[in-house]
Amino acid sequence: MTATAERARPGVLRIGRVVALPVHRGYLLAALAVVVLLLGASVATLTLGRLGIPLGELPGALVGGAEGSDAFVLERLRGPRLVVAIGTGAALGLSGALFQSVTRNPLGSPDVIGLGAGAGAGAAVFALLLPGTLPVWLGALAGAALAMGLVYFATGTGFRNPGRLIVAGLGVAAMAFAFTEYVVYVMERDRASVLMAYVNGSLSARDWDHAATIWLVLAVVVPLAALLGRRLDASEMGDELAAGLGADPTRTRVFAVTLSVVLSAGAVSVAGPIAFVALTAPQIARRLTGGTGAHQALAALVGALLLVLADLAAQQAPWSDGLPVGIYTMAIGGVYLGYLLVREWRRGRL
Amino acid sequence: MEKGTALTIQADERGLSAREVTISYGGDPIVRELSIDIPHGGLTMIIGPNGCGKSTLVKAFARVLKPVGGRILLHGRDLGGYRAKEAARQVALLPQSPVAPDGITVRGLVRRGRYPHHTLLRQWSPADDAAIAFALERTGLVELADAQASELSGGQRQRAWIAMVLAQETELLLLDEPTTFLDIAHQYELLELCGELHREGRTIVAVLHDLNQAARFASHLVVMNEGRVVAQGPPDEVLTAELVAEVFGLPCDIVPDPRTGTPMVVPHARHPAGEHAPAGRAQVADRA
Repeated sequence: MTATAERARPGVLRIGRVVALPVHRGYLLAALAVVVLLLGASVATLTLGRLGIPLGELPGALVGGAEGSDAFVLERLRGPRLVVAIGTGAALGLSGALFQSVTRNPLGSPDVIGLGAGAGAGAAVFALLLPGTLPVWLGALAGAALAMGLVYFATGTGFRNPGRLIVAGLGVAAMAFAFTEYVVYVMERDRASVLMAYVNGSLSARDWDHAATIWLVLAVVVPLAALLGRRLDASEMGDELAAGLGADPTRTRVFAVTLSVVLSAGAVSVAGPIAFVALTAPQIARRLTGGTGAHQALAALVGALLLVLADLAAQQAPWSDGLPVGIYTMAIGGVYLGYLLVREWRRGRL
Repeated sequence: MEKGTALTIQADERGLSAREVTISYGGDPIVRELSIDIPHGGLTMIIGPNGCGKSTLVKAFARVLKPVGGRILLHGRDLGGYRAKEAARQVALLPQSPVAPDGITVRGLVRRGRYPHHTLLRQWSPADDAAIAFALERTGLVELADAQASELSGGQRQRAWIAMVLAQETELLLLDEPTTFLDIAHQYELLELCGELHREGRTIVAVLHDLNQAARFASHLVVMNEGRVVAQGPPDEVLTAELVAEVFGLPCDIVPDPRTGTPMVVPHARHPAGEHAPAGRAQVADRA
């Protein structure tokens, strides 16, 4: 009993007199485990398969000694793809954590309520319909913002009521997907793979420009999300309690949704609307931390892990043959939704 | 009434007061040009029929709602002029239906009450541990500190929320219908706790539904109707049969509570010659 009590209490990280942050051992262990798994999956991504860099040569190749086909695989083929996958997964995980905090509902997630779909439609317009008028990422941002605007007004009560939000969001998501498919159909009649990339999301043939885009987005948003984290924790307990604690719930919501939109747009502009990472990653992170707070950072790590694993399957599974990664994340999401359903049913809430 | 007024004039500068406050959600005002001084160090209970504005007033005291007219003063200063966290270190609110985040422990929940005492870089101070330990001890939750909040019973969960606002370490505690979802024994347990905290020097304002409970525990009773304060003062002076009939539309007798001597509302039978009540009584008599 005392042992558990001791373990549940945080240690404190101090830097001089200025900084004092509580650090939970369980949280650190969970984060460490996810990082180790992520490293393992990354090594597997670079080494497995016909073109894989042999494990023994990987350390040398990474510090700059890659030659011949290894150099091509590392610098052109799998290296950028892996870096994009990690960044995109992290962006999706963080985006989902922010949005789920705002909506207080696992389904109030960017991929369910049309944020990703809106970004995808925006990207499709400016990549296919009007190429060259706007950068694709700006198009994605405009699409995501427009989709959220529609959802916001369609609910009639803003983002406060999760039930209305999900219904309105599903409608907006369906319209955005239909629009994307229309654009792709009109422009690229005979290229099914393009449609797949815009509707499901794909990580094939990514280059360092994609990597730079998504990591730049993370570099800007992550510090801001860290500033917002504790206020979000307070607003999770309801608007009235948050206001009583001195954390303005309306402002918190606006900031969190804005950051979430930017992250989603960034992710979509480099990889298309990859489904369900934003929904599942924060939920797994919560299970791992037991509500000690700061689960946003862990959600980003878990998101990166999920996407790298899904992309590993997309590249190496024997039946795969070029299936886009989005199909695998959709499968993960389906399994997770099933689990959620069973859990709620057991608790008698359904 | 005189005693109540004398007390409030003394306490004028300290604590909370409203000056001709009007509050609306956009339509008709819920609270109309209401003025009140919350007695400092008192246990104030606000009663009134549904929709009379009692919860609305408490929300305005906690800065959840902004008045459209008039001013709310905290220690003589306009509440709107305080920084949010500064005000939150003076006034805590327990709303009607707070949401416990998924997977949080009781201790984790109580720790969140420390939010207004933290800054970005200082998210821990030695005072935290002391405040959390005190709050858990005061609410009898030490044994349950590491339990999941979702696994608590209704009474325990409400105590956990009280512990959270206690950890906020404020002079003033605002409780919006704290007994509503509790069964009767836990209602009294919670009211006893309010009484103890009041005797230890905290100023407490609670919105209650039950007139007898309010009369028994309050040091200062406020009766609201249609957005206005219609009576306030010590319960035995405020709670009269005429007032209950007029404000709540309930004909009744007021008798002294046999335990405490505080006023107790005994409603008149609604159907003096009806069939249900006498039939029920007869059945009980038969069985006896």
